[in-house]
Amino acid sequence: MIGFVLRRLVQLVPVVLIASIGVWAMLYAVPGGPIAGLVGENATQEQIAAVTAQYGLDRPVVVQYLDWLRRAAFGDLGISIYGREPVLDLIGQRLPATLHLAVSATVVALALGIPVGVASAIYPGSWIDRILSAWSALALGVPTFWLGILLILWFAVDLRWLPAVSGYVPIWEDPIASIRNLLLPAITLGVYVSGILARFLRASLVSELRADYVRTARAKGLPERQVVGIHIMRNALLPFITIVGLMMASFIGGAVVTEAVFTYPGLGRLLIQAIGTRDYPLIQGCIVVILVLYVAINLAVDVLYAYVDPRIDYG
Amino acid sequence: MKLAEETATTGPVLSVRGLKVEFSVSDRRVPVVRGIDFDVYPNEVLCIVGESGSGKSVTSLAVTGLLPETAQIEGSIRLGGMEVNGADRDVLRRMRGEDVGFVFQDPGTTLNPVLKVGRQITEGQVALSRLRRADAEARAVELLRDVDIADPEQRVRQYPHQFSGGMRQRAVIAMAIAGQPKLIIADEPTTALDVTVQAQVLTVLARRQAEMRAAVVLITHDLGVVAQVADRVAVMYGGRIVETGPVDAIFRSPRHPYTRALLRSIPRMDAGEARLDPIPGQPPMPYALPPGCAFEPRCAVGSGRPRCRTEDPTLSAVAALQQAACHYVDEALPPAKVHAMAKPKPTETTAPPLLEVEGLKVHFPIKSSVLRRTTGWVRAVDGVNISVRAGETLSLVGESGCGKTTIGRTVMGLVPASAGDIRFDGQSMVRLGRGEMRAARRRMQYIFQDPYSSLNPVLPAEDIVSEPLRIHGLYEEMGGARRVAELFDMVGLSRGMLGRYPSEFSGGQRQRIGIARALILEPRLLILDEPVAALDVSIQAQILNLLQDLQAELGLSYLFIAHNLSVVRHISDRVAVMYLGRIVEQGTRDELYDNPVHPYTQSLLSAAPDPDPAARHAGRRIVLEGEIPSPAAPPDGCVFHPRCFRASGRCSVEAPAFQPYSGLSTWTACHHAGPLDRKSATLAEVSR
Repeated sequence: MIGFVLRRLVQLVPVVLIASIGVWAMLYAVPGGPIAGLVGENATQEQIAAVTAQYGLDRPVVVQYLDWLRRAAFGDLGISIYGREPVLDLIGQRLPATLHLAVSATVVALALGIPVGVASAIYPGSWIDRILSAWSALALGVPTFWLGILLILWFAVDLRWLPAVSGYVPIWEDPIASIRNLLLPAITLGVYVSGILARFLRASLVSELRADYVRTARAKGLPERQVVGIHIMRNALLPFITIVGLMMASFIGGAVVTEAVFTYPGLGRLLIQAIGTRDYPLIQGCIVVILVLYVAINLAVDVLYAYVDPRIDYG
Repeated sequence: MKLAEETATTGPVLSVRGLKVEFSVSDRRVPVVRGIDFDVYPNEVLCIVGESGSGKSVTSLAVTGLLPETAQIEGSIRLGGMEVNGADRDVLRRMRGEDVGFVFQDPGTTLNPVLKVGRQITEGQVALSRLRRADAEARAVELLRDVDIADPEQRVRQYPHQFSGGMRQRAVIAMAIAGQPKLIIADEPTTALDVTVQAQVLTVLARRQAEMRAAVVLITHDLGVVAQVADRVAVMYGGRIVETGPVDAIFRSPRHPYTRALLRSIPRMDAGEARLDPIPGQPPMPYALPPGCAFEPRCAVGSGRPRCRTEDPTLSAVAALQQAACHYVDEALPPAKVHAMAKPKPTETTAPPLLEVEGLKVHFPIKSSVLRRTTGWVRAVDGVNISVRAGETLSLVGESGCGKTTIGRTVMGLVPASAGDIRFDGQSMVRLGRGEMRAARRRMQYIFQDPYSSLNPVLPAEDIVSEPLRIHGLYEEMGGARRVAELFDMVGLSRGMLGRYPSEFSGGQRQRIGIARALILEPRLLILDEPVAALDVSIQAQILNLLQDLQAELGLSYLFIAHNLSVVRHISDRVAVMYLGRIVEQGTRDELYDNPVHPYTQSLLSAAPDPDPAARHAGRRIVLEGEIPSPAAPPDGCVFHPRCFRASGRCSVEAPAFQPYSGLSTWTACHHAGPLDRKSATLAEVSR
């Protein structure tokens, strides 16, 4: 198992390398750059050249990339052109907030998705099954920003129960304040994906319900609760874990809209700001960190798989 | 019969009266079981025999309330004196755990893959509070030991994938007997297993059943198994019992035309000469039953008779303890039609071989999961020589994993050979380029086992059959649509079905499409990989006869791959027996069946259940220990020695050469080859 994890971590190196080259290439393929924004509209040609040289942007692209790579290899992701702070510090401020949101949104999605998925699989064609179909379409069809704004209007503006602007409070410092801040963005994100999860779980359960071992379990006199809860669930959860992992990973960098609606200080918004200002080191740093987290979550899923499914042996 | 005095006093364990089961399928009611009565007494084995759609499995599920809610059940089912039909869910659940044990068909899917075997064996008893959780593991160990699983203390904590097929089925038997049930229901318990493993499993089941004096309902399509284990037999057809009686009576003097025709249609190990007499047509679908007797359209006695067409006969006594449902039980079946063709035909021993395989090895690399390094080799085929002459049938026989299918696929060029040579019509096939290989393959075609998955479901039959012509660019040249229609005639399909899709054909018809597809390029060699294994018993004979006719008519050579020894005896000129990638014995059909000299061949032949109840006590069966080793780690010396009843010290170090056996034309690879001495002490020791 340890060998497997190490091998997977080694495989991460070429992935990050290729991705960073790709990002670098794309940044230079699009016109414009960070300098125009830095020097102002009335800057002279000389001023622009001076600032460009100051940031080392006058060197050939390949040299710039190799320079970045050399520093990155030692844990230095450079200095943000606009923030004038080390990229790593900027990301470090946002990362805990993003992880808080990702975890709480996953909790919401599972809390909604699992019961609905199970109920609709066990009682196909029932009212709950029919509601699920409508609801998952609705959950996916409603834009997150719109749901976010509605939630703010109801719970923050009308009822004044929760803050309209979600700051980041670490849960270990003040759990109640942390949850109050996270609740609305987590619901916004969680509802969106819970429809997918419920659908997926339903399909997975329905196919397991037809399996021969289910008949065996019933034939030996097990109560239905155990047949579904233990025999079927354990098998149906296998593909489900993959989807949950992918979904959680997508929250790391992909919750931009929700973060924007709630002005939540997450990694996604940082990345969008960096792209807006062409802050090359910051963009590159954000992408690398998101990528590493993405791979780490999927690795965690694979490890979890081996615990849930005895047939998987990573050696 | 055998326990008349006991049955009189104790009464039946299971008593079924007027059982009807209907399924609602899109507002239509489909009758699957149409009024059946039967009883099973303690310590008695009742075999329910039938083909697909006869209602036999549905009956077994109905008697324990395991059918889905879409099923409507009528009639009375009394199990241990209690009425099952209409019983409360919890009452049924308790009854299943306490009174009934189940053994299902496929041990690969009946166990839950993610739960430990030991837990699965006892959890039913724990859930019903008949066993304390703390004692569960010890009880599971005991049960596994009862079904002959070695090292049960370790095995209880393992998962099903760590068990072999035969061990899984024995674990399922352990589960079935965990509650000391009064009734064991076994639904095709050995259909998915190899013959030598089937013998082990049936032995274990019979021993445990006798100890508990349990009643057994064994559902099967295999008349050989029936003859070996049944006390009484019920033959089902079209949702009804058409004949029932003691096993000897059913096999000696069957009275219903279906039973008689069925027994006549199966190939037998003891008589390979006669041509099979198939039952025409196919079993009826439950939603399209004929109005009168369900068997009437296929019946040699009653087909076309007005009474049979309108009136469904009831089951009535034809002898003591024997009943049949037929209006004309006393009429004899017309004699088997005399056919021009019959095996054996003279084999042209002088003809040069069409296919020659020399020193063939096929090794597959085992890759480690992550870095794709080769960590070992699976020796699927490990040095095989065979040849097939023009117009001849050579059969490759062996159990799963012996490499017989790999040989067929390698000859076709679907799998690359690791070493050795394959010559077709004098031309070496192993180092041909893609284009040359394609051209050469035109003369050899492959027929697959499963006619359900080997035909593309979205193409009409016409396109499926003509596809090889288009691939080889010969569509116009070889006659196009006219040629396709001719082939339909040749394989016995009506031209009106040309435009239909595979789902509209029955299994036997689909296999005919597969045969037509193989024949359209005018091949000289057909590789037939278990061509009848997936078909109903009454359909197998039709296809085997068709294959024989086509061989005679077109002068085809067959490489016939199969595990069913009766089928092989019926169709072959010569037979090669494979074990773990090697041929252990090869000879003419009659020599090999009458005078087998290799211990593995002898075990295989003795394990194959003979469809004759008299053979049950005639000779002791050789029940092989253990299972086939993995071809990734074959044993040293002779690969068969760990399971062999004749093995000596020499066998574990020195691999025997494949050489002629004196006095016969047989070749064999064994240090101790020789005829089987049925009275020998060695044999008695290995028999149970």
